Amino acid sequence: MNYALLMPQLIVIGVATAVILIGLFMKQEQKKALAYISIVGLVVALLLTLINFDAMEAYAGPPLYGAIVVDSLGQFFNMLFLIVAILVCIASMNYYGKNPNQDEYYSLLLFATAGMMVVAMANDLVTLFVGFELATLSTYALAGFDRRDKRSIEAAMKYFVIGALSSAIMLFGMSFIYGAAGSTNLEVISLSLVSSPIAILGMVLLLGGFGFKMALVPFHMWAPDTYEGAPSVVSALLASASKKMGFIAAFRVFIFALIALKMEWYLPLAIIAVITMTLGNVVALTQKSVKRMLAYSSIAHAGYIAIAFVVVSRSASAAEFAIAGGILHALSHAIATAGAFIATAAVAYVVLSNNKDAKDVDSIDNYDGLGKTAPLTALLMAILLLSLAGIPPTFGFYSKFVLFLSAIRGDLLWLAIVCVLNSALSVYYYVKVIMRMYWGDPKGEKIKEPSEYILALILAVIGIAILGIYPEPVYNWALGAAEVLLP
Amino acid sequence: MYISAILLVLLVGSIITFMTRTREQARLVALISSWIALLISVVMFLNYDAAKGLDNFREFYTWIPSIGINYHVGVDGVALPMVLLTTLVSAFCAIYAWGENKRPNQFFALLLLMDLALTGVFVSLDFFLFFIFWELTLIPMFFLIGIWGGPRKDYSAIKFIIYTHVGSVVMLLGIFAMYTVHGNATGVYTFDIPTLLNAYNTLAISSFWRNFIFAALLFGFLVKMPAVPFHTWLPDAHVEAPTVGSIILAGVLLKMGGYGLFRFLIPMIPNAAPVFIYIIAIFGLISILYSPIAALAQPDLKKLVAFSSIGHMGFISLGVAASIASGNEIPRIFAQSGAMFQLFAHGIITCVLFGACGVIEHHTGTRIIQDLGGLAKKMPKFTFLMVIGFFASMGFPGMIGFVAEFSILAGSYPQLPILIILAMISIPLTAAYHLWALQRAMFGPYNEHLGDVHEITWYEFTALAAWVLLIIALGIYPMPLFDMMQATATDFIHILPAGGIVP
Repeated sequence: MNYALLMPQLIVIGVATAVILIGLFMKQEQKKALAYISIVGLVVALLLTLINFDAMEAYAGPPLYGAIVVDSLGQFFNMLFLIVAILVCIASMNYYGKNPNQDEYYSLLLFATAGMMVVAMANDLVTLFVGFELATLSTYALAGFDRRDKRSIEAAMKYFVIGALSSAIMLFGMSFIYGAAGSTNLEVISLSLVSSPIAILGMVLLLGGFGFKMALVPFHMWAPDTYEGAPSVVSALLASASKKMGFIAAFRVFIFALIALKMEWYLPLAIIAVITMTLGNVVALTQKSVKRMLAYSSIAHAGYIAIAFVVVSRSASAAEFAIAGGILHALSHAIATAGAFIATAAVAYVVLSNNKDAKDVDSIDNYDGLGKTAPLTALLMAILLLSLAGIPPTFGFYSKFVLFLSAIRGDLLWLAIVCVLNSALSVYYYVKVIMRMYWGDPKGEKIKEPSEYILALILAVIGIAILGIYPEPVYNWALGAAEVLLP
Repeated sequence: MYISAILLVLLVGSIITFMTRTREQARLVALISSWIALLISVVMFLNYDAAKGLDNFREFYTWIPSIGINYHVGVDGVALPMVLLTTLVSAFCAIYAWGENKRPNQFFALLLLMDLALTGVFVSLDFFLFFIFWELTLIPMFFLIGIWGGPRKDYSAIKFIIYTHVGSVVMLLGIFAMYTVHGNATGVYTFDIPTLLNAYNTLAISSFWRNFIFAALLFGFLVKMPAVPFHTWLPDAHVEAPTVGSIILAGVLLKMGGYGLFRFLIPMIPNAAPVFIYIIAIFGLISILYSPIAALAQPDLKKLVAFSSIGHMGFISLGVAASIASGNEIPRIFAQSGAMFQLFAHGIITCVLFGACGVIEHHTGTRIIQDLGGLAKKMPKFTFLMVIGFFASMGFPGMIGFVAEFSILAGSYPQLPILIILAMISIPLTAAYHLWALQRAMFGPYNEHLGDVHEITWYEFTALAAWVLLIIALGIYPMPLFDMMQATATDFIHILPAGGIVP
């Protein structure tokens, strides 16, 4: 067994532990070094993941007994989580650059990433749950990291209460699945599970549990409040990485269930997907706060990704293609949303440096004339928003292209029509922000834009542009990842 | 290599222009790159071989092979004139906008980007590539309207982008359906345009998908053209857009819809429902009849010109429908080459019309016809050019617009006599609103409220004069372009069943 393939996870966990221990002995002004250590650790982990992208290892014997698996699906999502974590870390160097507790912050961030990576590689319901809890417990603390900010505390509290509830529901569902299949190992379950009321009840409960994480309607209520109230860099992590953790879990657990149980879940899943994207888009239209708008747009994007499940449950021939589209869209949304939330942090910085007493820094009114006061931030944010809107030649366009094409290939014309019209509707609120940035009247002076945010945004935009213009390799990876799930 | 060279020059030029610091640098770089693009397209025009059809300047590179996307470009007798039109209009727009003061580097960069996207639309032979360019045209136009636009720019810019985007995504569904139908039948999944168009005619496709594909593409093109009743985005966009934006919008961007009819729908129509011929013709007819009536009621000169575009584009739909309908081959070829020629002719004429509106607004500060009057006394040179443009627009013989509309009407009459007679009603109305507007704005006693109005600047004059020269030259001797189009139209007609389709 090749344990070297687990190095990325071990590095992330090791660095997380090291950061909090070293932080104890560091002076206030030295703590910034911890950010560099975290970034180096994450980059090394990312490189190791990319090198072993096609590796396959089941770890069947002791000591792991198949609880963890390395395959291209897991590697793809590991890559996604690490990319987001790196972006968030870079941006945090400014956001928490002077915070006395930043050692705890970076350590929690890394632990959350490690938990997500465990979920991505889980081949056992217990591992899955442990990974989920590691990630969510860390993010509860992160969401409330601005202890003096009432909204941050509110966000953390809501997130915690709903998250705990969803964990309980998920665990409840797992117990039913265990009862029906006699094992917690996903492979064993997929072979031995037969359609029975208990198994179906278990699956429904699991769908509910994952649904909270994915923020599918009707399990979405916590998301806007939490994303809006949490510190922007943490919102970036929540909306792009934590949400995708729900998707990877759902991919791992549902796809086989849909196939093994031969469940006719097409219609309920389709309704959930359609309601999710429509509600997300319609509510986003009227938001005054850009962070809240991005939160609703994330909900809409969860709806888009969910059509992968709909197509899988409907058509065997388009299944692989649909999952590849879902995975690609997860990646494109993760990068673009992480970038967009980081951009809101950068804008807040600009607003506060022009006016120290500004309230509601995330309000759309503060985006007026940003093209003049902070030209680079505005340009980069505009590109990210266009990617979210699915305007070519960005990666967001390509991933939507594949995803919606899969709906047609799965013979779901009505779903494809709903999707493209939703996507066209969403252009409105993304473009609205761009309009305010470029032809609103500037409020305040042109200021020097903080280099950390700009670096994070440039990395995100480069990713979006390169993957949009030449998506061939990443598409093939996604296709390889999709093959893992299908028999 | 010619086509990629144009695209590359414009891309590089756009990026460099964006990064320049002063107005002088920005306009110089823009001028040079747009003229290089024009030069290359003229060379292409001179080296075009009618016998080779779409093989002219064809380039093919694999791009995203796993889902069948290639970089595939090439031009034929309908695409090449469009490329020429695009580069021609943009090159003179760079001169026309020589005095632009507001954010000149962004302005000229967007102009070149627009040039790039539009050229890309006309040369693409792969649906993915085509759609990327098709959507890319929205971004520069959105910013042109938004940053340099008039008082209601927010509303117009967003209406423009959402409305046409909806048309595009519906078209995209049609493309997806074609791709899927072809892939499921043959096992080869590809976005190659010639392959898919061929497959549409040769494969057994259920009539639902057949009609859905055709209707989806048609909807995308009708919104872009625009045909009444999908035209409401156009007057708003025009009124608020800066002059150069309007010139490109009406001169080239609308032509994307008309071009789509030729490139995609004519090869497909033998196997679509015959009723589509009437649908295309009726949309054309409604546009033709609605536009002069709406134009007569406009107080704003620019909005009047915007409505005139809708009518002129209607002639293209009508000509296309008539060239498909059953009848003798010779008038059908004539109608179709006339419709192709109208794409080019209207592109040039509208440059003069919108250019003239821009000059009037620039020099007098208003475009409301009532507030003008007697401008001919103060601006004789300008009036001369403007009058030629207006006469060309109403189809005065000896000018480019006459050649196009005469061919369409004459070639269409044998197939669709009733529709053509109805369309003729628009001719006196068209003449009426053109002449009435000229009379009120340019002639009569000078309106003293306007104060001291100066003659037009040299750069505005150069651009307008160049377009006017083309209007007259191609009006008198249209053969270089017309022959090329006729050869391609003959090819298209020969794809259709002999004798046309009974609608």
